[in-house]
Amino acid sequence: MAKHFRELRERLLRAGVAPRHVRRYVMELREHLADLTVEEQHAGRSRAEAEASALRRLGRVEDLAQSMIARRELQSWTARAPWAVLGLAPLAALSCAWAAALMILWTGWQWFEPDAATPFGARVQGPAMYYFGLGRMLYFWAPVLAGWGMVLLAGRQRVKAWWPVLTLALLALLGATGWVVVSRPGVPGPGHVRLGFWMGLENLGAADGASHALVLFALTVLPYAMGRWIASRSDLARE
Amino acid sequence: MMTPRQTNPNFMNGVPELLILRLLEDEEMYGYEIVQAIRDRTDAVIAVGEGVVYPVLHALEHAGALKSRRRTVGGRSRIYYTVTKVGTRRLAELAAEWTSLAGAIQKTLTGGRYGEAFS
Repeated sequence: MAKHFRELRERLLRAGVAPRHVRRYVMELREHLADLTVEEQHAGRSRAEAEASALRRLGRVEDLAQSMIARRELQSWTARAPWAVLGLAPLAALSCAWAAALMILWTGWQWFEPDAATPFGARVQGPAMYYFGLGRMLYFWAPVLAGWGMVLLAGRQRVKAWWPVLTLALLALLGATGWVVVSRPGVPGPGHVRLGFWMGLENLGAADGASHALVLFALTVLPYAMGRWIASRSDLARE
Repeated sequence: MMTPRQTNPNFMNGVPELLILRLLEDEEMYGYEIVQAIRDRTDAVIAVGEGVVYPVLHALEHAGALKSRRRTVGGRSRIYYTVTKVGTRRLAELAAEWTSLAGAIQKTLTGGRYGEAFS
Protein backbone atom coordinates (compact mmCIF):
# COMPACT_ATOMS: atom_id res chain seq x y z
CA MET A 1 0.00 0.00 0.00
CA ALA A 2 2.83 2.38 0.85
CA LYS A 3 4.39 1.48 -2.50
CA HIS A 4 1.11 2.39 -4.22
CA PHE A 5 1.17 5.92 -2.78
CA ARG A 6 4.93 6.37 -3.26
CA GLU A 7 4.55 5.50 -6.93
CA LEU A 8 1.65 7.91 -7.28
CA ARG A 9 3.56 10.70 -5.53
CA GLU A 10 6.58 10.26 -7.82
CA ARG A 11 4.41 10.18 -10.95
CA LEU A 12 2.60 13.37 -9.98
CA LEU A 13 5.78 15.24 -9.07
CA ARG A 14 7.49 14.19 -12.28
CA ALA A 15 4.41 15.32 -14.25
CA GLY A 16 4.71 18.78 -12.71
CA VAL A 17 1.82 18.77 -10.22
CA ALA A 18 2.52 21.28 -7.44
CA PRO A 19 4.07 19.55 -4.40
CA ARG A 20 1.45 21.01 -2.01
CA HIS A 21 -1.36 19.43 -4.09
CA VAL A 22 0.53 16.14 -4.30
CA ARG A 23 1.07 16.07 -0.54
CA ARG A 24 -2.58 16.76 0.21
CA TYR A 25 -3.90 14.40 -2.48
CA VAL A 26 -1.84 11.50 -1.13
CA MET A 27 -2.88 12.30 2.43
CA GLU A 28 -6.56 12.42 1.43
CA LEU A 29 -6.26 9.16 -0.49
CA ARG A 30 -4.63 7.43 2.49
CA GLU A 31 -7.52 8.52 4.71
CA HIS A 32 -10.04 7.53 2.05
CA LEU A 33 -8.45 4.11 1.77
CA ALA A 34 -8.63 3.68 5.53
CA ASP A 35 -12.35 4.57 5.45
CA LEU A 36 -12.99 2.14 2.61
CA THR A 37 -11.14 -0.62 4.47
CA VAL A 38 -13.32 -0.09 7.56
CA GLU A 39 -16.43 -0.13 5.34
CA GLU A 40 -15.35 -3.39 3.72
CA GLN A 41 -14.61 -4.96 7.11
CA HIS A 42 -18.06 -3.95 8.33
CA ALA A 43 -19.42 -5.78 5.29
CA GLY A 44 -17.89 -8.96 6.72
CA ARG A 45 -14.57 -9.22 4.89
CA SER A 46 -11.31 -10.20 6.54
CA ARG A 47 -8.66 -7.53 7.04
CA ALA A 48 -6.64 -8.68 4.01
CA GLU A 49 -9.70 -8.95 1.76
CA ALA A 50 -10.98 -5.60 2.94
CA GLU A 51 -7.65 -3.93 2.16
CA ALA A 52 -7.47 -5.47 -1.30
CA SER A 53 -11.06 -4.51 -2.07
CA ALA A 54 -10.56 -0.96 -0.74
CA LEU A 55 -7.47 -0.54 -2.90
CA ARG A 56 -9.42 -1.69 -5.96
CA ARG A 57 -12.23 0.75 -5.21
CA LEU A 58 -9.82 3.62 -4.72
CA GLY A 59 -8.53 3.17 -8.26
CA ARG A 60 -5.35 2.28 -10.14
CA VAL A 61 -2.29 4.49 -9.75
CA GLU A 62 -2.53 5.29 -13.45
CA ASP A 63 -6.12 6.57 -13.16
CA LEU A 64 -5.47 8.45 -9.93
CA ALA A 65 -2.42 10.11 -11.46
CA GLN A 66 -4.10 10.98 -14.76
CA SER A 67 -7.09 12.61 -13.11
CA MET A 68 -4.73 14.95 -11.25
CA ILE A 69 -2.29 15.54 -14.13
CA ALA A 70 -5.18 16.47 -16.44
CA ARG A 71 -5.90 19.49 -14.23
CA ARG A 72 -3.49 22.05 -15.69
CA GLU A 73 -4.36 24.57 -13.01
CA LEU A 74 -2.84 22.27 -10.36
CA GLN A 75 0.58 22.29 -12.05
CA SER A 76 3.41 24.07 -10.25
CA TRP A 77 5.07 27.18 -11.62
CA THR A 78 8.26 25.14 -11.92
CA ALA A 79 6.48 22.93 -14.47
CA ARG A 80 4.55 25.72 -16.18
CA ALA A 81 7.42 28.18 -16.54
CA PRO A 82 10.75 26.48 -15.70
CA TRP A 83 12.65 29.27 -17.43
CA ALA A 84 11.22 31.73 -14.87
CA VAL A 85 11.49 29.65 -11.70
CA LEU A 86 14.76 27.86 -12.45
CA GLY A 87 16.33 30.52 -14.70
CA LEU A 88 15.23 34.05 -13.90
CA ALA A 89 14.33 33.66 -10.21
CA PRO A 90 17.83 32.52 -9.07
CA LEU A 91 19.39 35.35 -11.08
CA ALA A 92 16.95 37.82 -9.52
CA ALA A 93 17.77 36.44 -6.08
CA LEU A 94 21.49 36.85 -6.79
CA SER A 95 20.92 40.44 -7.95
CA CYS A 96 18.95 41.26 -4.80
CA ALA A 97 21.57 39.72 -2.51
CA TRP A 98 24.35 41.59 -4.27
CA ALA A 99 22.39 44.85 -4.14
CA ALA A 100 21.99 44.35 -0.37
CA ALA A 101 25.71 43.56 0.00
CA LEU A 102 26.66 46.72 -1.93
CA MET A 103 24.27 48.75 0.19
CA ILE A 104 25.93 47.42 3.35
CA LEU A 105 29.36 48.25 1.92
CA TRP A 106 28.34 51.77 0.94
CA THR A 107 26.54 52.63 4.18
CA GLY A 108 29.36 51.10 6.26
CA TRP A 109 31.85 53.18 4.33
CA GLN A 110 29.89 56.39 4.99
CA TRP A 111 29.31 55.60 8.66
CA PHE A 112 32.55 54.04 9.82
CA GLU A 113 35.20 55.40 7.42
CA PRO A 114 33.87 58.68 6.06
CA ASP A 115 37.33 60.00 5.27
CA ALA A 116 38.83 56.87 3.68
CA ALA A 117 39.40 56.76 -0.08
CA THR A 118 38.03 53.18 -0.18
CA PRO A 119 36.20 51.00 2.36
CA PHE A 120 38.77 48.21 1.89
CA GLY A 121 41.91 49.90 3.17
CA ALA A 122 41.73 50.33 6.95
CA ARG A 123 41.47 47.51 9.48
CA VAL A 124 38.08 47.95 11.09
CA GLN A 125 37.15 46.98 14.64
CA GLY A 126 33.99 46.42 16.72
CA PRO A 127 30.57 46.86 15.13
CA ALA A 128 32.11 47.97 11.79
CA MET A 129 33.91 44.63 11.53
CA TYR A 130 30.62 42.72 11.92
CA TYR A 131 28.76 45.06 9.60
CA PHE A 132 31.30 44.78 6.80
CA GLY A 133 31.62 41.06 7.54
CA LEU A 134 27.89 40.61 6.96
CA GLY A 135 28.12 42.40 3.62
CA ARG A 136 31.18 40.39 2.57
CA MET A 137 29.54 37.09 3.53
CA LEU A 138 26.37 38.01 1.64
CA TYR A 139 28.38 39.02 -1.42
CA PHE A 140 30.54 35.88 -1.60
CA TRP A 141 27.83 33.38 -0.62
CA ALA A 142 25.02 34.89 -2.74
CA PRO A 143 25.72 32.73 -5.86
CA VAL A 144 25.89 29.59 -3.71
CA LEU A 145 22.72 30.40 -1.76
CA ALA A 146 20.81 31.27 -4.95
CA GLY A 147 22.02 27.99 -6.46
CA TRP A 148 21.04 25.94 -3.42
CA GLY A 149 17.57 27.51 -3.36
CA MET A 150 17.04 26.65 -7.01
CA VAL A 151 18.41 23.12 -6.56
CA LEU A 152 15.98 22.56 -3.69
CA LEU A 153 13.05 23.58 -5.90
CA ALA A 154 14.28 21.45 -8.79
CA GLY A 155 14.73 18.45 -6.50
CA ARG A 156 11.24 18.76 -4.98
CA GLN A 157 9.72 18.84 -8.43
CA ARG A 158 11.91 16.09 -9.97
CA VAL A 159 12.91 18.47 -12.77
CA LYS A 160 15.18 17.22 -15.57
CA ALA A 161 18.82 18.12 -14.95
CA TRP A 162 19.57 20.50 -17.78
CA TRP A 163 17.76 23.59 -16.43
CA PRO A 164 19.40 23.43 -12.98
CA VAL A 165 22.85 22.68 -14.41
CA LEU A 166 22.62 25.54 -16.91
CA THR A 167 21.55 28.01 -14.23
CA LEU A 168 24.19 26.80 -11.79
CA ALA A 169 26.86 27.31 -14.46
CA LEU A 170 25.57 30.83 -15.10
CA LEU A 171 25.50 31.62 -11.37
CA ALA A 172 29.06 30.34 -11.00
CA LEU A 173 30.22 32.44 -13.95
CA LEU A 174 28.58 35.57 -12.56
CA GLY A 175 29.91 34.83 -9.09
CA ALA A 176 33.45 34.42 -10.39
CA THR A 177 33.49 37.43 -12.71
CA GLY A 178 31.57 39.88 -10.52
CA TRP A 179 33.79 42.52 -8.97
CA VAL A 180 33.05 45.43 -6.64
CA VAL A 181 34.33 48.77 -7.88
CA VAL A 182 34.54 51.70 -5.46
CA SER A 183 35.52 55.30 -6.05
CA ARG A 184 35.46 58.55 -4.15
CA PRO A 185 36.07 61.53 -6.44
CA GLY A 186 36.71 63.95 -3.58
CA VAL A 187 37.14 63.88 0.21
CA PRO A 188 34.91 64.91 1.87
CA GLY A 189 32.21 63.72 -0.51
CA PRO A 190 30.07 60.68 -1.19
CA GLY A 191 31.73 57.52 -2.39
CA HIS A 192 30.43 55.40 -5.23
CA VAL A 193 30.00 51.63 -5.19
CA ARG A 194 29.11 49.53 -8.21
CA LEU A 195 29.44 46.03 -9.58
CA GLY A 196 31.42 45.15 -12.70
CA PHE A 197 31.91 41.90 -14.58
CA TRP A 198 34.97 40.83 -16.46
CA MET A 199 37.28 37.90 -16.97
CA GLY A 200 40.99 38.20 -16.35
CA LEU A 201 40.81 40.74 -13.56
CA GLU A 202 43.56 43.27 -13.24
CA ASN A 203 44.91 41.75 -10.06
CA LEU A 204 43.79 38.18 -10.71
CA GLY A 205 44.45 36.07 -13.78
CA ALA A 206 41.89 34.30 -15.97
CA ALA A 207 42.97 31.04 -14.35
CA ASP A 208 41.99 32.38 -10.90
CA GLY A 209 38.62 33.47 -12.29
CA ALA A 210 38.05 30.06 -13.85
CA SER A 211 39.00 28.21 -10.68
CA HIS A 212 36.69 30.47 -8.65
CA ALA A 213 33.86 29.66 -11.08
CA LEU A 214 34.67 25.97 -10.81
CA VAL A 215 34.56 26.08 -7.00
CA LEU A 216 31.20 27.88 -7.02
CA PHE A 217 29.83 25.42 -9.57
CA ALA A 218 31.06 22.44 -7.56
CA LEU A 219 29.60 23.82 -4.32
CA THR A 220 26.16 24.04 -5.88
CA VAL A 221 26.10 21.18 -8.36
CA LEU A 222 27.49 18.53 -5.99
CA PRO A 223 24.55 18.60 -3.52
CA TYR A 224 22.21 18.49 -6.52
CA ALA A 225 24.02 15.56 -8.12
CA MET A 226 24.14 13.76 -4.78
CA GLY A 227 20.40 14.31 -4.25
CA ARG A 228 19.61 12.89 -7.69
CA TRP A 229 21.91 9.92 -7.13
CA ILE A 230 20.27 9.10 -3.78
CA ALA A 231 16.79 9.44 -5.34
CA SER A 232 17.69 7.15 -8.25
CA ARG A 233 19.16 4.56 -5.85
CA SER A 234 15.96 4.68 -3.79
CA ASP A 235 13.90 4.15 -6.96
CA LEU A 236 16.07 1.17 -7.93
CA ALA A 237 15.81 -0.30 -4.43
CA ARG A 238 11.98 0.02 -4.55
CA GLU A 239 11.87 -1.74 -7.94
CA MET B 1 -33.84 29.91 -36.83
CA MET B 2 -31.59 28.10 -34.36
CA THR B 3 -28.90 30.34 -32.81
CA PRO B 4 -25.35 28.98 -32.61
CA ARG B 5 -24.55 27.60 -29.17
CA GLN B 6 -21.85 25.63 -27.43
CA THR B 7 -21.74 21.94 -28.09
CA ASN B 8 -21.65 19.29 -25.36
CA PRO B 9 -18.66 17.15 -26.33
CA ASN B 10 -18.94 15.07 -23.23
CA PHE B 11 -22.26 14.77 -21.43
CA MET B 12 -20.55 13.81 -18.18
CA ASN B 13 -18.26 16.79 -18.32
CA GLY B 14 -19.06 19.01 -15.35
CA VAL B 15 -21.27 16.46 -13.58
CA PRO B 16 -18.88 15.80 -10.68
CA GLU B 17 -18.47 19.57 -10.17
CA LEU B 18 -22.23 20.08 -10.18
CA LEU B 19 -22.91 17.26 -7.72
CA ILE B 20 -20.09 18.23 -5.40
CA LEU B 21 -21.11 21.89 -5.29
CA ARG B 22 -24.73 20.94 -4.65
CA LEU B 23 -23.84 18.57 -1.81
CA LEU B 24 -21.44 21.00 -0.18
CA GLU B 25 -24.00 23.78 -0.38
CA ASP B 26 -25.93 21.98 2.38
CA GLU B 27 -23.06 21.04 4.68
CA GLU B 28 -19.29 20.74 4.84
CA MET B 29 -17.94 17.30 3.98
CA TYR B 30 -14.68 15.47 3.37
CA GLY B 31 -13.88 13.36 0.30
CA TYR B 32 -15.12 9.98 1.50
CA GLU B 33 -18.41 11.50 2.69
CA ILE B 34 -18.89 13.22 -0.67
CA VAL B 35 -18.45 9.99 -2.64
CA GLN B 36 -20.87 8.17 -0.33
CA ALA B 37 -23.40 11.01 -0.56
CA ILE B 38 -23.27 11.04 -4.37
CA ARG B 39 -23.84 7.31 -4.46
CA ASP B 40 -26.72 7.49 -1.95
CA ARG B 41 -28.52 10.46 -3.43
CA THR B 42 -28.30 9.22 -7.02
CA ASP B 43 -29.26 5.66 -6.01
CA ALA B 44 -25.85 4.56 -7.30
CA VAL B 45 -26.79 5.63 -10.85
CA ILE B 46 -23.85 8.03 -10.77
CA ALA B 47 -20.75 6.55 -9.16
CA VAL B 48 -17.86 8.98 -9.02
CA GLY B 49 -14.45 7.28 -8.95
CA GLU B 50 -13.46 6.97 -5.30
CA GLY B 51 -10.06 8.54 -5.72
CA VAL B 52 -10.70 10.91 -8.60
CA VAL B 53 -13.05 13.11 -6.60
CA TYR B 54 -10.03 14.86 -5.03
CA PRO B 55 -8.61 16.46 -8.18
CA VAL B 56 -12.08 17.95 -8.74
CA LEU B 57 -12.12 19.27 -5.17
CA HIS B 58 -8.61 20.71 -5.52
CA ALA B 59 -9.50 22.36 -8.82
CA LEU B 60 -12.70 23.86 -7.42
CA GLU B 61 -10.78 25.20 -4.44
CA HIS B 62 -8.11 26.59 -6.77
CA ALA B 63 -10.87 28.38 -8.71
CA GLY B 64 -12.20 29.84 -5.45
CA ALA B 65 -15.44 27.86 -5.57
CA LEU B 66 -14.58 25.90 -2.42
CA LYS B 67 -12.58 26.48 0.70
CA SER B 68 -11.08 23.81 2.90
CA ARG B 69 -10.03 23.34 6.48
CA ARG B 70 -8.20 20.52 8.21
CA ARG B 71 -9.86 18.88 11.20
CA THR B 72 -8.75 15.99 13.34
CA VAL B 73 -11.69 13.73 14.11
CA GLY B 74 -11.15 10.59 16.18
CA GLY B 75 -7.41 10.73 15.58
CA ARG B 76 -7.92 10.98 11.81
CA SER B 77 -6.92 14.03 9.81
CA ARG B 78 -9.72 15.16 7.50
CA ILE B 79 -9.92 17.97 4.98
CA TYR B 80 -13.43 19.42 5.03
CA TYR B 81 -14.72 21.44 2.10
CA THR B 82 -17.39 24.14 1.97
CA VAL B 83 -18.84 26.25 -0.85
CA THR B 84 -17.88 29.91 -1.23
CA LYS B 85 -19.92 32.69 -2.86
CA VAL B 86 -18.06 32.01 -6.10
CA GLY B 87 -19.05 28.35 -5.76
CA THR B 88 -22.69 29.24 -5.23
CA ARG B 89 -22.68 31.29 -8.45
CA ARG B 90 -20.91 28.47 -10.31
CA LEU B 91 -23.49 26.00 -9.00
CA ALA B 92 -26.34 28.18 -10.28
CA GLU B 93 -24.73 28.33 -13.75
CA LEU B 94 -24.07 24.60 -13.91
CA ALA B 95 -27.56 23.77 -12.62
CA ALA B 96 -29.16 26.00 -15.28
CA GLU B 97 -27.08 24.35 -18.02
CA TRP B 98 -28.00 20.89 -16.85
CA THR B 99 -31.68 21.65 -16.38
CA SER B 100 -31.77 22.92 -19.94
CA LEU B 101 -29.88 19.91 -21.27
CA ALA B 102 -31.98 17.42 -19.31
CA GLY B 103 -35.15 19.11 -20.58
CA ALA B 104 -33.95 18.81 -24.15
CA ILE B 105 -33.08 15.14 -23.77
CA GLN B 106 -36.38 14.42 -22.07
CA LYS B 107 -38.24 16.17 -24.85
CA THR B 108 -36.38 14.13 -27.45
CA LEU B 109 -37.08 10.89 -25.63
CA THR B 110 -40.76 11.66 -25.35
CA GLY B 111 -41.10 12.37 -29.07
CA GLY B 112 -40.58 16.15 -29.17
CA ARG B 113 -38.24 17.76 -31.68
CA TYR B 114 -34.75 18.49 -30.37
CA GLY B 115 -34.61 21.90 -32.07
CA GLU B 116 -37.72 23.19 -30.33
CA ALA B 117 -36.13 22.82 -26.93
CA PHE B 118 -33.35 25.24 -27.85
CA SER B 119 -35.23 27.73 -30.01
